[in-house]
Amino acid sequence: MEAFEALLAGFGVALKPINLLWGFTGVTVGTLVGVLPGVGPALTVAMLLPLTAKLDPTGALIMFAGIYYGAMFGGSTTTILLNTPGESASIATALEGNRMAKAGRAGPALATAAIGSFVAGTIATVLLTLLAPLVVELALKFGPAEYFSLMVFAFITVSAVLGTSTVRGLASLLLGLFFGLVGIDSQTGQPRFAFGVGELLDGVDVVVLAVGLFAVGEALYVAAYQSRLTETLEKLKGSVRMSGADWKRSWPAWLRATGIGFPLGTIPAGGSEIPTFLSYAAEKKFSKHPEEFGNGAIEGVAGPEAANNAAATGVLVPLLTLGIPTSATAAILLGAFQNYGIQPGPLLFQSQADLVWGLIASLYVGNVILLVLNLPLIGLWVKVLQIPKDILYAGILVFATLGAYSLHQSWVDLLMLYVFGLLGFAMRRWDIAVGPAVIGLILGPLAETQFRRALSISQGEASVFFTQPISATFLAITAALVVVPWIVRRMRRRKTA
Amino acid sequence: MRRNAAEIALSLGVLALGIGVALVTAGLPSEGGYAGIGPNFIPAVVAGGILLVGAWLAFEAFTGGWRNAPPDDPAARGEHAFNGTAFGWISAGLFIHMALIGWAGFVVAGVVLFACVARGLGSARPVRDLAIGLALSIAIFAFFVKLLNVNLPAGWLRPLLGSAGI
Repeated sequence: MEAFEALLAGFGVALKPINLLWGFTGVTVGTLVGVLPGVGPALTVAMLLPLTAKLDPTGALIMFAGIYYGAMFGGSTTTILLNTPGESASIATALEGNRMAKAGRAGPALATAAIGSFVAGTIATVLLTLLAPLVVELALKFGPAEYFSLMVFAFITVSAVLGTSTVRGLASLLLGLFFGLVGIDSQTGQPRFAFGVGELLDGVDVVVLAVGLFAVGEALYVAAYQSRLTETLEKLKGSVRMSGADWKRSWPAWLRATGIGFPLGTIPAGGSEIPTFLSYAAEKKFSKHPEEFGNGAIEGVAGPEAANNAAATGVLVPLLTLGIPTSATAAILLGAFQNYGIQPGPLLFQSQADLVWGLIASLYVGNVILLVLNLPLIGLWVKVLQIPKDILYAGILVFATLGAYSLHQSWVDLLMLYVFGLLGFAMRRWDIAVGPAVIGLILGPLAETQFRRALSISQGEASVFFTQPISATFLAITAALVVVPWIVRRMRRRKTA
Repeated sequence: MRRNAAEIALSLGVLALGIGVALVTAGLPSEGGYAGIGPNFIPAVVAGGILLVGAWLAFEAFTGGWRNAPPDDPAARGEHAFNGTAFGWISAGLFIHMALIGWAGFVVAGVVLFACVARGLGSARPVRDLAIGLALSIAIFAFFVKLLNVNLPAGWLRPLLGSAGI
């Protein structure tokens, strides 16, 4: 019941007219930018960070929650109408949604995505409300050793276990960890890897890294390999209303997807990509119309979209309660928190309960705004999709460079932006996951701090990570995640050989 | 056996980075107080990790190529051949922007960047691009400077922007 009271107080914060305005602005701008082809949620959040520079922390965080949700949803519109997923989480939607649009059923596809996102997002937010206080209670027992082991677990799952290649995932993570080392060591004041450059002493900013990898890298890649291709934008014909049969087929898909998306979002499973694919697979299996899959089955849109939103909310559980980002977007959000001197974690629920619960309450509000806003404005989003690619990327880069330049008013940040852009190009070309690098940049320094704190407490005794039961459990799970699939693969190979 | 020059080069690049990080780390102090480890400990771990991953990547590159990598033939990826000119336009735009923004100002640099990027993505209408770039840059400048109080350089257009009340 304590959570309920805290939530009510949170609504008091979120429903203040000014905060409502920030939430509304966030959702609108987030959707608008998220709709842009090639702009995923991570880039949306990173590009829109400068907008909140002068807001108070509560207003800024509420606006960010709105941007986060809007960006997640915006991507699905793009996918359904354009079939160029701006985010990995939309790939599953592309399979069926774009087929529906081609068959003249774009309206119901967009509707089931919007309503499904609302249903899943709201249920997931209720689950977040109930779960967060429990995790906080557990997390209050964590010492530095437990935190460090948990972070190692997160590092390994997002880089080595998921994705197409273990070694390339690890390479991405290590690059991020290296970037995280640049700047002044928080424990001793020792500058590292800064080479006397003032801009580097401040460390690598997450906005510069994310915008470089996602925006500059993407622009370079599209120019080099895709600029002379043509795309077809599906027309939005008829009504966005869903028929009775559409509703009947969508409901169970939404609920199943919430059940898949939320739990997977809360563990470090790299965000929304896996839940959306699992939901797609589940719908294909449970559907009474399996023959429609591949030709525009509505469950194939309803499920993944709901799973996407449920997972996006689930990601906020470790982010808010433990201060651990498990997706690139969450890492950028954490960077935004840190800009305000806020370190999410169990203590934040005690020291700044207003802010945390205001943020959680604003998620409920954000879901409603998203639903109210999206379907009526669908015509506007379609117009946004008609912006030609050359104008689109030119505009994105003008905005992207602004974010980097406004940090220090220095060209050095712009040079870093370009270098990260080259890196992003290479990572896109050779299929190296970008998420681990962004997570490594943000989480690396936190992990180092916890590591050194743990050793300070134990007087340099490294066994502390293995003798504390919770810490040892995390490390054991991590080891199992790495070793078990490897053994299974070897055994399979031996069988076939 | 498939050997891929780009993959080999990238793997060696990772190895080189690892060596660089290790060399810089060697110059960092190691005294660490109660913890017994100093500011050089984690950098050493990261350097080791980068070297290990670089070696692993190089091994894959020399023995049949990186596993599960996208096909090298652009057509197999549904794309056209690498367009160096387009790549060059975007790079040039970003470098000119970098050089201009401090003294010519945000708007001038933005217009040039906009036109170069649009050209790189296949636009054949430079005048239209310059016009849209100008309108967009002025709008962004006005919004950030006026509404958000973010400091951006006015540069050459200071008198013009000033008389327009921005």
